[in-house]
Amino acid sequence: MRIYEYIIRRLILLIFVLFAVSVVIFYLLRGFPTGIAPWAAYINSKMTADQIEAVIKAHGFDRPLWEQYFYWLRDIFQGQWGLTGIWAQGRPANEVFFNHFSYTIELAVSGVILTVAIGIPLGIISALKNNKLPDHVSRVIALAGYSTPAYWFGFMLQLVFFYYFSLWGLPHLPSSGASTLGVSRITGLPLLDGLLSGNLAFSWDEFLHLILPAFSLSFISLGFLARIVRASMLEVLRQDYITMARSKGLTERVVIYRHALKNALIPAVTLTGIFFAALLGGAMITEYVFSWPGVGQQALRAVFQGDSNFLLVYSLVFAAIIVTANLVVDVIYAFLDPRIKY
Amino acid sequence: MSFKANKEEPLLEIRNLKVNFHTYRGEVKALNGVNLKLYPQEVLAVVGESGCGKSVTMQTLIGLLPENAYVPEGQIIFKGEDLTKKSKEHMRMLRAEELAIVFQDPMTFLNPVLTIESQLEEVFTLQKKLLIEASNLEKTQGDVKFTDLLREKSSDAPQTNRKLARKEVKRISKKLCVDILNLVKLPDPERILKHYPFELSGGMRQRAMIAMALARRPSIFIADEITTALDVTIQAQILHLLKELRDKIAASTLMVTHDLSVAAEVADRIAVMYGGNVVEVTSTRQLFKKPLHPYTQLLLKAIPNILNPVETLESIPGTVPEMVKPPPGCRFHPRCPFVMENCSKDRPKLKEVEKGHEVACYIY
Amino acid sequence: MKEQQSASAVPKGEWEARLADIKYTLHLFRKNPLVMAGTIISLFFIGLALSANIIVNPNLALPTGYTGGMYPFERKYMWSAGSIINWGPNIAIYKGPESFLLGTDGWGRDLAKMIVLAVPVDLYYAAIITITAAIFGTFLGAIAGYIGGVIDEALLRITDIFFAFPALVLALVFASLPQFGRSLDTLALALVLVWWPPYVRLMRGQVLSEKEKPYVEALKATGAGNTRILFRHVLMNAIYPILVQVTMDFGGVILTFSALMFLGFSPSPALPELGNLAADGYGHIFDAPWVILFPGIVMLIISLAFNLVGDGLRDVLDPRLRR
Repeated sequence: MRIYEYIIRRLILLIFVLFAVSVVIFYLLRGFPTGIAPWAAYINSKMTADQIEAVIKAHGFDRPLWEQYFYWLRDIFQGQWGLTGIWAQGRPANEVFFNHFSYTIELAVSGVILTVAIGIPLGIISALKNNKLPDHVSRVIALAGYSTPAYWFGFMLQLVFFYYFSLWGLPHLPSSGASTLGVSRITGLPLLDGLLSGNLAFSWDEFLHLILPAFSLSFISLGFLARIVRASMLEVLRQDYITMARSKGLTERVVIYRHALKNALIPAVTLTGIFFAALLGGAMITEYVFSWPGVGQQALRAVFQGDSNFLLVYSLVFAAIIVTANLVVDVIYAFLDPRIKY
Repeated sequence: MSFKANKEEPLLEIRNLKVNFHTYRGEVKALNGVNLKLYPQEVLAVVGESGCGKSVTMQTLIGLLPENAYVPEGQIIFKGEDLTKKSKEHMRMLRAEELAIVFQDPMTFLNPVLTIESQLEEVFTLQKKLLIEASNLEKTQGDVKFTDLLREKSSDAPQTNRKLARKEVKRISKKLCVDILNLVKLPDPERILKHYPFELSGGMRQRAMIAMALARRPSIFIADEITTALDVTIQAQILHLLKELRDKIAASTLMVTHDLSVAAEVADRIAVMYGGNVVEVTSTRQLFKKPLHPYTQLLLKAIPNILNPVETLESIPGTVPEMVKPPPGCRFHPRCPFVMENCSKDRPKLKEVEKGHEVACYIY
Repeated sequence: MKEQQSASAVPKGEWEARLADIKYTLHLFRKNPLVMAGTIISLFFIGLALSANIIVNPNLALPTGYTGGMYPFERKYMWSAGSIINWGPNIAIYKGPESFLLGTDGWGRDLAKMIVLAVPVDLYYAAIITITAAIFGTFLGAIAGYIGGVIDEALLRITDIFFAFPALVLALVFASLPQFGRSLDTLALALVLVWWPPYVRLMRGQVLSEKEKPYVEALKATGAGNTRILFRHVLMNAIYPILVQVTMDFGGVILTFSALMFLGFSPSPALPELGNLAADGYGHIFDAPWVILFPGIVMLIISLAFNLVGDGLRDVLDPRLRR
């Protein structure tokens, strides 16, 4: 079947891309003459020269670069992703990564849900009332979202909904972090775990913590989605088959919901897929602003410490997610639009 | 193919219809006072070059003009009412039940992501009356075919205000879909219904569109250049189909085309349009035997005759008038070999010069 | 509907036709109030950027007593309109003599004036990054699309790799280079490397569809060489979406650029740049919200203005929405 061939081809490509990314990052972080030594993340100022030597040897930083790379490859296949630096207490890189990944997933999913729920109707309204007031209003909202600096908006949300609300005596939302109440780990996704284990108080708390960062994320992306939906709807509404549908005497409602939307939403779906993938990379800034314990926040720390092990894990996972998301989106596209054949 | 003229009331009468479009470059005066009469049970071909206004006339008729169009003058009288004054909702209902149009290019006019079945079915589900009749017939006869329903519509059967259940509606619609595809001679209807438009050939798509039009049991069936996008053999098939269907459906047909030979094939009468006006209307036979308007004469001369091949091809000198500042008076006068003085002053009106033959020209 | 499109006068030459086209574009542009607002605001900020050094004395950005160079200097006071909060070892609060329009930043400098000084920095770098990325990407995309084959495949794969790259890692690496130092230029370079892939894809798509059009075949039949066809004809017709993308990217690049500064990539903590100015307020969001608030608002307005223009351009230049 053609489509399975296609998927296999793309998966092979994925492996190729992963290799390429790993090589480039490896080189950049360990071999490139930067100001930070590759072992800087693993030492602290109290170490003696001998101890530093020991650390270097232990991590293999003294070997030639290509040798390091092969050792690293070998280690990966054995499941050893290397240790993180001091900043993360030297735990295995993949452990640190996946611990925080569930939080990022939570945030990404909520962000996407909000984005879709607001963005798509906004785009449709904009298209139907093209160049009239609702269009202008939703346009400004959409573009404002798109033009808002992520760091600024997050803070504004915190300022208003946490600080001022509590000043004014209103019920306020927590300003940062995820819920600190404990929960048993079932799926790894805190919100779900709370629900599954019957710990509703935790889930509620987590939910409250999730609102502001998720909204911050979605406000920025929903504008983009709304524009795409609008453009695509306008394009579809010009098509001949819409005239045909109207000529059949169908009500405008049916014409739009049955005939136009199905065609117009195809690009929106693909875009949402890519969005989601990008968000899974950890919306770094939002996580930073809200101290959300996700992968992005960790990556930021790793970046400033020059921790190559963690960053390698991070980059490879990110690359894998993006490429897979592209593939998934393309396949979905083929399902939605019966004309596409691979 | 005889025609019945003057003995009956016209089913549709277009009087002095003018339609303008606001555009960036100015007001385009697309229709300049169109006069047309359509009688029951006849096939009227509307012939003319691109830009003469035939499609715009049809669009105005069914009420689907674009936003920047407006009707400054004129009337469209259908069943005693002036359609130009009717609301959008009213026009929509008319489109659902009385005025059916089939368009030129079935590839772009069919929704690519919906199956033929869903696109055909939705036409049926709009028509409560038809479904109720079908349901009734089924009860009395045991089975119902679409052709039965065609006959039924002519009689104003008393409406029983029954509501049909959704499942019932779906079942009857599906049945009628298969029936109607048989009517338009599509092989293996069950399979075709499940297909998407791009999976069918051009001729098949066109037949499906015709089915969608017939499903409404329309009083007026409009075919807007339906053979233009097809190759000649398919074209012949479609025309043949139309001729066959003619006996079965009780509708009048408006056949818009730029191809005189197509008109000759199917039409009882032919109306020639130029520059937003109807310039000549008569029976097919008369038009070819004795064309009166200079434009028609030149058109007919331009058709190469297969029996008497000639060295040079005849053509009409000049170009189609531009519509923002059209030539004053008769819009054909700049290209007319018989142009006279008052041709550029006032537009000539359609006059009946001999029985059943109208021309808009100062020669007569 | 094609029947109604008669030209009022046949344009006599290629440039006349293009001019008429541009006039029509401007006409459509004017009709949209949002786009006009966006254009006016953008022009205002461009003017502001060009004249910033005249309006505000750039030396105000440097701490008093220092000459030349940007050295990190001691954080002394944080001022708000009317009162000082001293973050030094003795924490004291007292009313000061001056009042500042928007308060001060973490170094005690007038925030309003710093914002004015920051605007040219941001606009300048955003322009450089966007234009460089656009030219580079468009060029590659055009070649990939036009020539096709192996080169096309290779370029696509390379682009894919860049797409999969986390931008931050790249930025870090470049920022840590001792040769370049933590300068704005290296940061700009990093951003260019992250920003060019979309242009490759965009241009390639455009060129691919233009290539199939009959006029290209006609040009070949008249003996025009490939380079000529590509640059003189295909490019001219395919350029519109690129223009739109550039305008919209401008807003996006400003945001990313300042975000990176906010996260700490700036060469000097005292550099007047909108993200950098906001970074000062990170720890003090609740007691000194103005430090983040105002640079952020200005950032939003600039970005919004350019995005409005770009969005409007897209509507206007879309050949299918034109009458």
